[in-house]
Amino acid sequence: MLDSIVYVTMGFIGVAMVGTFWRLIKGPTIVDRVIAMDKLFVYSIGLILCLGMAEHTSLYYEAALLIATLGFISTTAMCKYLLRGDIIE
Amino acid sequence: MNIAWIIVLPLLGVIAPLLANPTRRNQVAWITAVLPFAALLITLYHAPAILAGEVVQQTWYWIPQIGLTLSFRMDGLALLFTLLILGIGLLIILYARYYLSSKDPMGRFYSYLILFMAAMLGIVNSGNLLQMWAFWELTSISSFLLIGFWSSTGKARKGARMALTITGAGGLALLAGILLIGKVVGSLELEAVLNSGRLLVEHQWYPVILALVLIGAFTKSAQFPFHFWLPHAMSAPTPVSAYLHSATMVKAGIFLLARMFPVLSGHDAWFVTVSLVGLATLLLGAYTALFKHDLKGLLAYSTISHLGLITLLLGMGTELAAVAALFHIVNHAVFKASLFMGVGIIDHETGTRDMRQINGLFKYMPHTAVLCIVAALSMAGVPLLNGFLSKEMFFAETLEQSAIGALSWLIPLLATIAGALSVAYSLRFIHDVFFNGEPKGLKKTPHEPPRYMRIPVEVLVALCILVGIFPALLVGDLLKSAGVAVLGGTLPYIPLYIWHGFNLPLLMSALALAGGIGIYARRKVLFQFQSHFKEVDANERFDAWLYQVITFIRRIEALIDKRSLQYYLAWLSVALLILLAAPLLNLSLVGDNVVITPLTAEVWAGTALIAIAALATVVNNRRRLFAALLISIVGLGVSLAFARFSAPDLALTQISVEVITTILLLLALFFLPQTTPKESKPGRLLRDIGLAGIFGGIMATLTYAMLTRPIETISDYFLANSKTGGGGTNVVNVILVDFRGFDTFGEITVLGIAALGIYKLTAGMRLFLPATNEDGLPWSRDKYPLILKQVSQSILPLALLISAYIFLRGHNLPGGGFIAGLITAIAIVQQYIGHGNDWIQKRFYANYVGFIAAGLSIALLTGLGSWLWQKPFLTSWFDYFTWPVFGKFELASAMLFDLGVYLTVVGAAMLILAKLGQLTVVEPYSEKED
Amino acid sequence: MEIAIAFCIGLLSACGLFLILRGRTYPVVLGLTLLTYAVNLFLFASGQLVKGQPPILGSGSSYTDPLPQALVLTAIVIGFAMTAFVVILAIRARADLGNDHVDGKSKPKDITKEVEQ
Repeated sequence: MLDSIVYVTMGFIGVAMVGTFWRLIKGPTIVDRVIAMDKLFVYSIGLILCLGMAEHTSLYYEAALLIATLGFISTTAMCKYLLRGDIIE
Repeated sequence: MNIAWIIVLPLLGVIAPLLANPTRRNQVAWITAVLPFAALLITLYHAPAILAGEVVQQTWYWIPQIGLTLSFRMDGLALLFTLLILGIGLLIILYARYYLSSKDPMGRFYSYLILFMAAMLGIVNSGNLLQMWAFWELTSISSFLLIGFWSSTGKARKGARMALTITGAGGLALLAGILLIGKVVGSLELEAVLNSGRLLVEHQWYPVILALVLIGAFTKSAQFPFHFWLPHAMSAPTPVSAYLHSATMVKAGIFLLARMFPVLSGHDAWFVTVSLVGLATLLLGAYTALFKHDLKGLLAYSTISHLGLITLLLGMGTELAAVAALFHIVNHAVFKASLFMGVGIIDHETGTRDMRQINGLFKYMPHTAVLCIVAALSMAGVPLLNGFLSKEMFFAETLEQSAIGALSWLIPLLATIAGALSVAYSLRFIHDVFFNGEPKGLKKTPHEPPRYMRIPVEVLVALCILVGIFPALLVGDLLKSAGVAVLGGTLPYIPLYIWHGFNLPLLMSALALAGGIGIYARRKVLFQFQSHFKEVDANERFDAWLYQVITFIRRIEALIDKRSLQYYLAWLSVALLILLAAPLLNLSLVGDNVVITPLTAEVWAGTALIAIAALATVVNNRRRLFAALLISIVGLGVSLAFARFSAPDLALTQISVEVITTILLLLALFFLPQTTPKESKPGRLLRDIGLAGIFGGIMATLTYAMLTRPIETISDYFLANSKTGGGGTNVVNVILVDFRGFDTFGEITVLGIAALGIYKLTAGMRLFLPATNEDGLPWSRDKYPLILKQVSQSILPLALLISAYIFLRGHNLPGGGFIAGLITAIAIVQQYIGHGNDWIQKRFYANYVGFIAAGLSIALLTGLGSWLWQKPFLTSWFDYFTWPVFGKFELASAMLFDLGVYLTVVGAAMLILAKLGQLTVVEPYSEKED
Repeated sequence: MEIAIAFCIGLLSACGLFLILRGRTYPVVLGLTLLTYAVNLFLFASGQLVKGQPPILGSGSSYTDPLPQALVLTAIVIGFAMTAFVVILAIRARADLGNDHVDGKSKPKDITKEVEQ
């Protein structure tokens, strides 16, 4: 039961990713794209967690943890760049 | 005592003279002499055994599979040369102390001299041909430095350059020859080569090998037609001429001939080439020497002629001739070194070396005159002196010749003529310099040199006489053992007597003496005859030739080098494609017996993600920010792939690197122009798309072919021993910090070097700072938005905690120093982004270079630590302990090593990013687009 | 599945090479990064692609080949250092030469503009 739920969830996340990816390519503004990128990072967290559940292992959770803490940092760097150009002043 | 010390001690001695107080010249000389003297003592310690026929060897293996060893080998031949090099070298050190003026940098001179000495000792004592070659080139380099010692004069610079070009080119030929020999024999070890018997002579490559080795030997030993560099090398200080260009270095080529004699002689090609070249050199040198007004010029051509004589002897191929060659090597070194030193004294005392000015010096410096006269008589081959003995043997051998068939009678005739010429120039040296009236136009009145400057000459001249009278007693054993080394076992009876009865060689000697006196008496006629020929300046010719070569090369270069990276890269990729595609032609696409795994939905989706993002990056590469964003999506896709295919460690690393790369690209974007101009023409685009398409196709084929073949892995060992041998369950991490720790150590060193290189590149950089963003809008005025500040700050402890966690568990679960280091670096960079440089610098003084240094030192010390337990470098250790509160835990030396990795990664990443970030702290220039 | 991985690596290499052949430094940096991905994936694939068998002892009954992973792990980090070095070289070249062309010279078009000024 749980296994099939995990797969269904993965499917949903996959669909969300396709949509977001479309937004990333399409734009139209760069801000849309940065947000799309950030969302793609968030979806990958979900994907990795589902993968771990499907394979009954916790070895991948740290990857999710890292995306959660670090993926956000590249988004902030992008934002800072958009605002100021120079990200380390 | 290990014979390697004979080379190592002088090599260490290179720095000794530089350590001494340069103003105390005696001290400098003493300190220089100590180590060569110790080497001489070691040689003497080994001498009895070697004279008895033993071969002393010492070998350290490095990469024996490809013939790389460090190996020293001393036999009779090497002993003879070693004694010459060290003995004369020590005398030269003493002589040079008085020769150099107080203005010359004495320490530097001695340093070069000892470097040469060590290199020369290395040549003669090498047990490996490749190693011998390395020392061979080192003598060329040290000779270059010594010839050009008075670098302020153009002559010295030109002479040095010419000598280096000729001997260096010869060295390259020799290298090719050695490599071919190694290919044929299957080993570069001298022992194996010498024991290969007639293998080389009968091999089809023999002519090529012989030609290459002979070019090496002939250039070094100034044989015709390469002889012209030697007279120009005489612009060196006289001790150098005495030591390098008469006694030792120019004998290296002859040493090579003697060394290779057992395996390369024994073929007509050897006899004809070597003996004819030797004969030509002998005559040409002797003839030219007669007309030189410069004392050193006379000696230089005389040296060329004597080298030709030795070469001729080696080319004759009879056993006694080889022994005579060895004997003449010693004799020539002794009398020629003393003559050069005598000339140096004369030059020193009169201020000139022109024989038209220097006359009648006997009156002014009788002591020196006597020494020079004895040495010159030895050069002429007058009985009771050593030169006579070997010349007599030489004459005797020329009579035995049949190498050029019915014309063989020419050889003794020409030898006698050369002998007469040599008597004539020796006589000229004696008569012109010491008698023949009064000196003309000298600037100072000559007198005897300092007492100690004469001692080296006295020692050598005494040897001339002693060897001349008691040859068997003094050099008999040495010659015998050297002869055994050259001839390999069988040794003929060596007739080392002064008196052989009235025979043909004696008659030839007498004729040569009489003829020489005759030639000298009628010299005016000869000089007049010679004045019809225009004197050729080898220097000008050499320069013209060099200029032609360079022009030719420039023309080729202009054809292929367009000074354009795009051009290079296009050709490089074409070459790469050909190299990659060629082997694929003979390969089936699908291997055997491999089940193709079905394509599942998530793999399909991931492939699409990576593919679309990568293509979009290419399409949008001119929209720079968007491209940066897309490329980080590719990176995300790759890390998901790593996670999917059982590589959690890689997924973690890739994600962290991805974030850092994004930050790096954003920093780069700010300093680079905001837009990429559209400048590729359609043709260029089409070409590049074609190249890229083919490359992609090949890579895909290669990958597919690889994936559909069964693999043989060496990893079973790692899987089996990871827990028991390395104490960790994360095999990837155990491989990194334990099994292959040495590789990792190399890698973090590279990382540190790259970071330091970047650090240096940023120094003094003048930046263009864009005033607006790519859409032309002004930047926001809010440097540090409040939310950014707060979030950055609050994420720091969390990220550091994660980093520590990942680091600690790395040995057993996914994680480790690399990943933890990247996380820490990102956490700190976020503080720079959120708060700016100034804020950080007030709170946290970080020396990132220090981080790198600390990391590398920890890794190194962990490795060295295992030496304390007599284990090899980086042997790991681990054990389990129980602490009251924490329970059972593991301690491993590999963890300490991992700490070194961690610190290096943090230091390198921070040095790169923080340094880039700090660039804008300096007063920014206004926007100035190109 | 093999075909998908092969396609990915091929496409990444092709994109990487195309970008490396561009005339400005920034696309070259992007190209190098893409090529790094391709090479890393290729090395990784040399250990065969296996799902759900991470080389962590005790996590399952069989394990994938850990050696390519160890190689790729360091390759990723070194690859970053190399990219960083190229980036700095690009910035330095821009700072010293005034433009970001890989040959260090601006195109004739730009020169005429300067003359007009």
